[in-house]
Amino acid sequence: MSTTISRRFAVAAACALVVAAAAGPMRDVAQAQGTPPAAAKVPDLSGVWDGTNRARPVNSETVPWGKANFPELTERGLAYQKIFDEALAPKYDCQPSTPPALEYDPYFMEVVQWPDRVIFRYEKDDQMRTVWLDNRRPTSVDYSLQGFSVGRYEGDALTVVTDHFVFDITGFDDYNGIPSSSQKKVIERYWREGTELKVTVTVEDPMFLKKPASYTTRWLPAPKGYHLILWDCDPEASRAMVKFLPPKYK
Amino acid sequence: MTVRRWILGAVAAAAVGVLAATVPALAHHSSAPFYDSSRTVEAQGTITKFLYRNPHAFLFFEATEPNGQKVEWQIELGGIAALARNGWTPDTLKFGTPIKASGRPSKAEGTHGMCCAKITKPDGSPIVAGKGVQDEEPPK
Repeated sequence: MSTTISRRFAVAAACALVVAAAAGPMRDVAQAQGTPPAAAKVPDLSGVWDGTNRARPVNSETVPWGKANFPELTERGLAYQKIFDEALAPKYDCQPSTPPALEYDPYFMEVVQWPDRVIFRYEKDDQMRTVWLDNRRPTSVDYSLQGFSVGRYEGDALTVVTDHFVFDITGFDDYNGIPSSSQKKVIERYWREGTELKVTVTVEDPMFLKKPASYTTRWLPAPKGYHLILWDCDPEASRAMVKFLPPKYK
Repeated sequence: MTVRRWILGAVAAAAVGVLAATVPALAHHSSAPFYDSSRTVEAQGTITKFLYRNPHAFLFFEATEPNGQKVEWQIELGGIAALARNGWTPDTLKFGTPIKASGRPSKAEGTHGMCCAKITKPDGSPIVAGKGVQDEEPPK
């Protein structure tokens, strides 16, 4: 009996190897075409993209949220902004940036398109986001810092909807002391314009924002052969500048 | 001179290989709560430590005040991804190297921090030969 099982296992394993070897190129073609279930046209968004100051102005108090698109805050949002203390921003303990700020950080990122998902790898904070294209839905335990992302191709664009974020004291951006709640929803629309990758990021959060707010930005193709640089945030370096901050609270 | 002008200056200098160690932007956080943009300080001394780490690197150097007291300055630099793209390595600034730095002073009382700094040899000549990938297209 055990001999029979072993033989059957060996035959099955050999068949699997043959099928896998044969399917390899086909799988590559499918991935290159990025064919999701029941999708007709898939834009090629893949590659390593440059979001440094070569592509766009560096983020600040007024970038990307300036006069034209700065969100109107709820009473709660204004209250949180008023009491916000820069020294407790979790980034000074290496907590990663989150959408809608992560997309604008001035670093490189990589996009990988698979049939059932799109993967965004960010040089900043070593973050990776998976956008599911297979209609799966988050469960009640899927709350996280980067949320849960689902997407679909629409025309020449990829639309990504992310929710299930946890409360984040600086979850709106890195500069203006605006938090985000578990009701934050971020909608991203990615498309190609010539050699550029563009995105419109829209954020909704009825706890802190009266209306959705949006910005549009771009990435340029990375120099040939560029690989994302390890971030590996260091807790000592991360908090080293806080002593230069006049304390808001004793 | 603004930070962005410093960066553009660095990029231009890098293109011809005469980069003074000019600091990439503090993209991780605002410099405003920490450093006084209305003032510029200048100090000269020797490097005691180069903390080449993310999110921001730090350069420490010991300087002598006019009253003879020794103080340790701490210069906040950009993230190492940005520094690396401009040709910096952990060995770029070695212990004991004499430098001159000018930049915005830290705001907290009794501290000797500096950001957005221009770092050169004491005679003003460059100490880092840089290269970068950011010189192909200007920001729009």
